Amino acid sequence: MGLDRRGFVKIVVGGVAGTLFTPVIWKSLDDVSIWSQNWPWIPRLNTGEVKAKAALSKLCPAGCAVKVKTVGGLPFAVAGNTANPMSKGGVCPVCAAGAQLMYSPARVKSPLKKVGEGKFEAIKWEDAEALLVEKLGVLKGQAGKIAAISGDETGTAGEVISGLLGGLGNAGYYMMPSEKFVAEKGVKLMGGSGQPGFDIAGADLVLMIGADALDSWGPTVANQKAFAATRPTGAAATAKFVYAGPVLNHTAAVSDKFLPVPPQATAAFALGLANLLIGAGAVSSASDFAEYKALAAKHTVEEVEKATGLKAESMKELAALIRAAKAPLVIAGASFGQGAGALDFVAGASLNVLLGRVGGGMTLLPAAPRAVGGVGASDKDAASFLAEVSTGKAAPGALIVYAANPAYALPQADDMAKALGNIAFKVSFSTYMDETAALCDLILPAPHPFERYDDVLNPYGVAKPTYLVGAPVVKKPVMDCKDPVDVLLGAAGKLGLTLGFETYADVIKAKAKALGADFDALAAGGIWNGEPKGGALNLGASALAKVAPVTLDSKTLALAPMSNQAYGSATLATPPANLLAVRNTELLGKDLFVQMSADTAKKAGVAEGAKVKLSAGKGEMKARVHLNEGVAPGTVAVLMGFGRSAWDEFTKGKGDNVYKILTVSDEAGTGLKVWAGSTVTVAKI
Amino acid sequence: MSHGATKEFKVTWGMVIDLDKCTGCGACMTACQVENNIAPMVDASNKLRTLSWVLVFELNNGKSGAEAEVAYLPRPCMQCGNPACVPVCPVVATEKNEEGGIVSQIYPRCIGCRYCMAACPYHARYFNWEDPIFPKGMEKALSPSTSARPRGVVEKCNFCHTRFMQAKEKARQEGGKPNELADGAYMPACAEICPTGAISFGDVKNKEHKVFDLAQGKDAFRLLEKLGLNPQVYYVSKREWVRKLGDNYAATGKPGAAKKHS
Amino acid sequence: MDQKLQELWGEVMEEKKQCKGCGGALPFLIGFVAAVIAGWVLFPNLLYSKKVQPVRFSHKIHQEQGMECDSCHAFRDDGSYAGLPKNEKCQECHADVVGSDPAEKVYVEQYGQKGKEVPWLIYQKQPDNVFFSHNAHKEIECGKCHLDVGKTDTPPVYYENRLSGYSKQTMKMWQCERCHAEKAVSNACHVCHK
Repeated sequence: MGLDRRGFVKIVVGGVAGTLFTPVIWKSLDDVSIWSQNWPWIPRLNTGEVKAKAALSKLCPAGCAVKVKTVGGLPFAVAGNTANPMSKGGVCPVCAAGAQLMYSPARVKSPLKKVGEGKFEAIKWEDAEALLVEKLGVLKGQAGKIAAISGDETGTAGEVISGLLGGLGNAGYYMMPSEKFVAEKGVKLMGGSGQPGFDIAGADLVLMIGADALDSWGPTVANQKAFAATRPTGAAATAKFVYAGPVLNHTAAVSDKFLPVPPQATAAFALGLANLLIGAGAVSSASDFAEYKALAAKHTVEEVEKATGLKAESMKELAALIRAAKAPLVIAGASFGQGAGALDFVAGASLNVLLGRVGGGMTLLPAAPRAVGGVGASDKDAASFLAEVSTGKAAPGALIVYAANPAYALPQADDMAKALGNIAFKVSFSTYMDETAALCDLILPAPHPFERYDDVLNPYGVAKPTYLVGAPVVKKPVMDCKDPVDVLLGAAGKLGLTLGFETYADVIKAKAKALGADFDALAAGGIWNGEPKGGALNLGASALAKVAPVTLDSKTLALAPMSNQAYGSATLATPPANLLAVRNTELLGKDLFVQMSADTAKKAGVAEGAKVKLSAGKGEMKARVHLNEGVAPGTVAVLMGFGRSAWDEFTKGKGDNVYKILTVSDEAGTGLKVWAGSTVTVAKI
Repeated sequence: MSHGATKEFKVTWGMVIDLDKCTGCGACMTACQVENNIAPMVDASNKLRTLSWVLVFELNNGKSGAEAEVAYLPRPCMQCGNPACVPVCPVVATEKNEEGGIVSQIYPRCIGCRYCMAACPYHARYFNWEDPIFPKGMEKALSPSTSARPRGVVEKCNFCHTRFMQAKEKARQEGGKPNELADGAYMPACAEICPTGAISFGDVKNKEHKVFDLAQGKDAFRLLEKLGLNPQVYYVSKREWVRKLGDNYAATGKPGAAKKHS
Repeated sequence: MDQKLQELWGEVMEEKKQCKGCGGALPFLIGFVAAVIAGWVLFPNLLYSKKVQPVRFSHKIHQEQGMECDSCHAFRDDGSYAGLPKNEKCQECHADVVGSDPAEKVYVEQYGQKGKEVPWLIYQKQPDNVFFSHNAHKEIECGKCHLDVGKTDTPPVYYENRLSGYSKQTMKMWQCERCHAEKAVSNACHVCHK
């Protein structure tokens, strides 16, 4: 029987009908819908055992003692280490993004050699190390020819670097400017020595002058924990916090009182307060009390009002609060962690002397024993050094950059970057492709903190000697990197020096031993604490006599750089996971917003959203205006951390860099370079 | 709206956020992104596209100089007792049915109509405009807690629900009672990481949990209480202007309307 | 026009005539039956691809050595279920070849000694959006949901769905829900999803 068209149609119809009685259609539909739930480009989760390992996250300036959570051995999150008495389970917003930063697109993936302007070629480690040895070997023994800039003031790596320089006949080991650097100078001006510490936990009134202690000053997480302990939710607070500074920042937001003080009037404010306290009967046994008293008397409430705009009642209220407190504590610093003069520090610290709180609230830390022989850091900071390089006063042939980003984070940043160009061979040990690495001739990738041994000794602000150690969380770094200290120790050996160690881990073990600490306990997330040393301070009256009178200029505005820890630091551009936290009134698209009060804006002739150019010295930056009534009168607040020219797509080219318009001046009587009192002109564009 | 629609559970997971302790540092937002596998966005300043399961708002009292005050307000999903988002979902992709009272969101089920987003007065829900593409290699740092969502679906905070599951597993393993977790056994990532401990978390119906008392404190309030959605997130502030902003004058249209949560 | 229509009509009538006796309902039935057979027999064969485990693991031999299930498939301290053991566990015995089975040699040489985890095929693998607690189900016999591999010498063939990419044995949501309903356990979405 032949199959004709009609028969064929019948078979097809029968086939279709039959199919309805099979799972073909229904199962296929179901499977296709399931297939559509798992697109191949949607990432899958990792599986395996979840563990938490203690680590030291040196992504933030102070370093957070944390626990890194891993799944199947891969780090995925950072949690607090509740057993560590310093962080008490808290984590700062930068370290919270630590696991993801291991895979940041800005990471340097292998050693890189510069082959042209902005062009690099990946090279092997053995070639990179040979190049380093060759360049340093040529200059060995020539004083002033090899220098180093470091941004790590807590790690023992610094001892290795300065030891290496010493062995090569050089002493130019320069630290990036920091609060600690200035504070130690201040302590000297007050007749003492050592790094000052501040016991926030033991105070019942904390006056923070400029120091953004609850967001970016000092060991922030420890500070925040100390603050939190005084404020049980739902019960009465046991301590008062007062913030006096240029911007109603994160610290001011939770303080009981905020006093807007323009950045250049910090010392005048402190001395005005001293005057009120002395008037109310405060006396000190310090040898220079009479001199100090006479000096403070010049800073009447009227004078303070002229300098700061603060009303007499506000000052009197604050003085009364301090008088009523049993354990007041004053912390002075720049609102952005650097560039304040020593005099600002002395003015604030003198209040602690006047209140009899040195030794109790404000402490002095003894010098710690060194693990590696050598002299330590120079008396000058990196800014002063690079200023000399730009004028030709210093002419190094080789520069080692460790955990520092001078091309981005020094005042008049563009000039500093140019000064770096005067140095023939620059090597950067950097985890990320930062602005300075991008200028260097050789980039040696450093491990991420979860991939290496490192340590933290006395992060600035701690009340007693403190030592933390971190061990690697992962077996192998995710990039082709080597520990900078291991590389330097290897280079030292090839240059015929013996520093006594082969690896950074050995150096840290020796450091722990020198301190009398248990390395294993520290590496497991523990802490070592010593005792602060005794010793009195005077009121620093002779230094304070040089405090210049402040005049509020109508043409220029005071510049208040604002640090916001979540947005990164000099050595870390905003982590990708933190971009969400940046407000659209701070950064919109590629526009950074500078902030000022409506009154200030009116005087400057600008309005909300206006595009402006800020200029000072040779530098200028572009931004838009956002009105913020929490900014001190006559002041423009600018967020730091933006305007990156290197890094990755998440940060590059977004906003502008405030360092470009910070101007350096010489502080009267201390010889320090300062820039906390920078002024700028604001013009509409 | 009636309060009668509120679903009651034996355990009611609740959050109490002390606004006088929140510095606005943003650690909670970062921890949340990490826990819940939210891919970083190149332009995160486009707030119409970002995904912020917990979002820290900045409030100010409108004054200037020494009178000026600022407060930061972290806003997770309120896990409303009587959620506005649930009844509007045409495909039951979101519901409030599980013990503990957490409002669920099931991504493969969601059709992306966004009715729930329109319904939520707290703007706690987010739409995935883009696929979760991580920078190369960063997918190795994905958290095992939350499945990655494709573009086209809505997502929101779920009090780190997987941690709730994990806490129950641990309780089972240790021979405890998974339905009567001890205070602190289950903590969302934001509450765990907060460096000032501004975020407390627990069962607001269990006297053993510290949030029980905190949620009833005299300075405790909830956002837009007059809408009757009965949120499971409480805020605490001694500052009156902050508490007033919390109800956004919803009761009378005038600031400072008298109110007390039920 | 009319003429054309008539021609068409004529053609149709002619076809009808020719078609008499070409089977009535038979072709329909043939198509129907063929489709049913194809749908129930051929389709499942086409839908699934067959895969074998990378190492022919014998549960039987291991049991004969006196090992218990939970020697390898154990709960961790945090209550989560370890599932399949990692190299670390296998190498407690198989750091080197200890027996004569060629499969062991494959494991030791290709995985264990190279530090490479065995990419076992998991018959019941659930997608990322499912949170399954073995701990909550530990009163139920393993074989209720899993293939009963305990006595096997060769692991069963793994059938992978060519469309969805899932294993044939992956439990579907309705199966979970049915058991939950029968045992009066909540079927709220969050009970299983993440």
